[in-house]
Amino acid sequence: MSTTFDSSGLDPATTVAVTGLGAVSPWGWTVHDFWRGLLAGEPGISEADQFDVRGQRTSLASEVRDDDRRRDDLVELWRSAAARRWSRADRFAVAASVEAWHHAELDTSNNDGEVGIFFGGSTAAMAEGEEFFEQLLRQRRPRPTIRYLASHQINGPGDAVARHLGVCGRVETLSSACASGGLALGSALDALRRGEVDIALAGGADSLCKLTYAGFNSLRAVDAELCAPFHAERSGLNLGEGAGVLILETVARALSRGRTPLALLLGHGASCDAHHMTAPHPEGEGASRAIAAALRDADVGPAEILFINAHGTGTQLNDKAEGAAFARILEQRVSHVPVTSTKGLVGHYLGSSGAIEAVASVLGLHHGLVHPTPGRGEVDPEIPVDLVRRDPRRLDTSGPGLGCAVSTSFAFGGSNAAVVFARWPRAS
Amino acid sequence: MTTFPDIVITGWGAVGPSGAGREAVVQAFRDGAVPLREVDRSGGYHRNAGSRLAATIDSNLDLSTWISPRQARRMSPPSRLAVASARMAFEQADMPEEEAKVRNTAVVTSTSFGPSSYTEDLMRQILLDAPTAASPFLFSEAVANAPAAQIALLLGAKGPNLTITQRESGPLLAVAHGVEALRRGRTGLAVVAAADESNALLHSVLDRFGVLAGSRPTRDEAGMEEVARPFDHHRNGFVLGAGATALLLETATSAVERGARPLATIRATITAFDPGAHEAGWSNDPEPLARHLRRGLESRGIEPSSIGLVVAGAAGTREGDRQEALVLRRALLGQDWADLGVQLPPVLAPKAYMGEHGGASLAAAMLACEPEAADTEPLAATPGFREVDPELGLVPFQGGTLPTVHRILVSTLAAGGSSAWMILDL
Repeated sequence: MSTTFDSSGLDPATTVAVTGLGAVSPWGWTVHDFWRGLLAGEPGISEADQFDVRGQRTSLASEVRDDDRRRDDLVELWRSAAARRWSRADRFAVAASVEAWHHAELDTSNNDGEVGIFFGGSTAAMAEGEEFFEQLLRQRRPRPTIRYLASHQINGPGDAVARHLGVCGRVETLSSACASGGLALGSALDALRRGEVDIALAGGADSLCKLTYAGFNSLRAVDAELCAPFHAERSGLNLGEGAGVLILETVARALSRGRTPLALLLGHGASCDAHHMTAPHPEGEGASRAIAAALRDADVGPAEILFINAHGTGTQLNDKAEGAAFARILEQRVSHVPVTSTKGLVGHYLGSSGAIEAVASVLGLHHGLVHPTPGRGEVDPEIPVDLVRRDPRRLDTSGPGLGCAVSTSFAFGGSNAAVVFARWPRAS
Repeated sequence: MTTFPDIVITGWGAVGPSGAGREAVVQAFRDGAVPLREVDRSGGYHRNAGSRLAATIDSNLDLSTWISPRQARRMSPPSRLAVASARMAFEQADMPEEEAKVRNTAVVTSTSFGPSSYTEDLMRQILLDAPTAASPFLFSEAVANAPAAQIALLLGAKGPNLTITQRESGPLLAVAHGVEALRRGRTGLAVVAAADESNALLHSVLDRFGVLAGSRPTRDEAGMEEVARPFDHHRNGFVLGAGATALLLETATSAVERGARPLATIRATITAFDPGAHEAGWSNDPEPLARHLRRGLESRGIEPSSIGLVVAGAAGTREGDRQEALVLRRALLGQDWADLGVQLPPVLAPKAYMGEHGGASLAAAMLACEPEAADTEPLAATPGFREVDPELGLVPFQGGTLPTVHRILVSTLAAGGSSAWMILDL
């Protein structure tokens, strides 16, 4: 098919649409809960209670509450034999994927063509692994519970989803620390463009664990208070957990089965700082190359960016470097493009942060609203961004092109990822 | 229609239980026995019975040719292995490392278990001492992507930097990502590496799952040597290995322009998932995977009869080897009954020689791409293979010289269901 849709000039056979979303967040086990929480602007971050965090630099975390019983399908699902072997992260992944699958109105009998899973993650079932290891070390039980390790590996959540949905296509998990989710979206986009899969579930799920909690504390990268991305008084991140999943397919396929896309995934880019294991390049050199590559891949210019969903961890170094990267890309426009950080509201989902932030970006484009970024004090005057604060901001869609959102993810080891979403042209 | 450039491999390097360098890989295949070492059980992780051996890296192995002691101190074991292998690949390809900076080099690594010894050390600090005792250095090197980051740091590789964690199929998925980055012009050079380490905790966990040779000896197996027996009738598990293999990928045009000899062209990568597989194993139904492999070959115009050698992922597990043999038989021969009169192409089972680690399949594939590197002495028959499994009807490499072929199929079926194949043209 070579016809274009509307006046966009895009080829529906190769342009990729987002047709379903799923989310697990501190506010609940649905996208609706997530979006409502984002718009309310009240952080879902509080005292951590999954494990003892006394004595550490922070005691805060964004935790998923056990209120999954509000979803009838999950109550039923958790009773299955397979679910008894699932880790906490597996459950997040399956819950978000099932929601996205239904949202996209896909055929549950899996007659919808070749399906692939593209997940990003970093902790997966580490919490269960820690439980096993603690039993082993302290010899609390003569035989440590090996079940804790059934789905221990990082590919556990993606594989659990594939098994649950009966997926036969490509299934892969990328684990490039905090860039994983963004890289997974890029891999899914490539696979759809190649025609390797017809439907892609892209996203990720991670759960909190003692190792990463203590690890980020040891790096002094956490904020003792609620994190404050891009604010002058920021002093680190708050950790979080949950899942975000997007259903991707070509526009032609979506339209042929009567689905109106929520948004388009137009491009992705990746780069490496090759600068330091844990610190970003101070001038955002690598980050800006990833964003530039994503814009090139999407064939859009900086003038078409409606807003940026920033990596925005709330650490001194990240936010400053990221602001510098935005300035490299946007030049004079940098102080006029709205920027928001989902981490300010739900914490840092680590490997799956790019996934949940992609969900937030698509919702923002779909509803024409950018969610606010909370934070104490003033926006850092050294970071030249237009941070959306306090209240959601309505998007100004009068500019050129389709109108895009850029979502960025940057990681330990200098791995950078950026994805570009665009408004569905027929959206009101 | 967009046409993509051919992607070739121009260099490779490896570190494994037999040592460092391509020569060590050749030696492993000549020796015909995995160098097995006693696993340290002093940590108290192990059961009294069970597996006692692993194909670990010699603790005295000298990698200083490729990494200075100062650099090595800042790296986890898998990072060291990966970086050393990557530098070997540059050497063989006759590619100056400075080119890594110029060509916006992509780095794609894979790992099954990540830096497990650093993770173990970190968990001990947190769980036995206090969370505040966690070492920031250990934490930053305990992430799965540490090897990819270290390669990028040392080479100045600023292209896409990805790490795949999809168990045994990860190395070929990593190759697929490297190919894609080159084809789309996102990079001018790609380093693809698989790196895994073995440590006591990981060994004890796998032993508790009963997947290692010697984990659960039956009465009949009492006194049997603890070795992997890929495709053998009496196979009873794998031998945990450690090591890394790195490949250097570039476009065929780039190789020609700089006068480099391509070792192989990556003709295709094919991937699939078997949803019938359980979390830690394989299913009994070869059809979903065979169908994908068959279709993948067909769609690329590859005749199964053109495949001259199969590099199998078989590691000696009952389920995994059976599934792989039946998938290969069904996809390549169109039948799955064991008929010794209708044979698969020669099958190399490298994990019998090198232990189970991600780099083994890549290293064996590359060895097969340059059989002249090993032609001075014959290679040993597949270690551990004694008796044909009548259900599989598959006899792996029986020693001698590697066949000179034009096309190689590399096969990896991961525990859990993810699978990947790669076709190399010589």
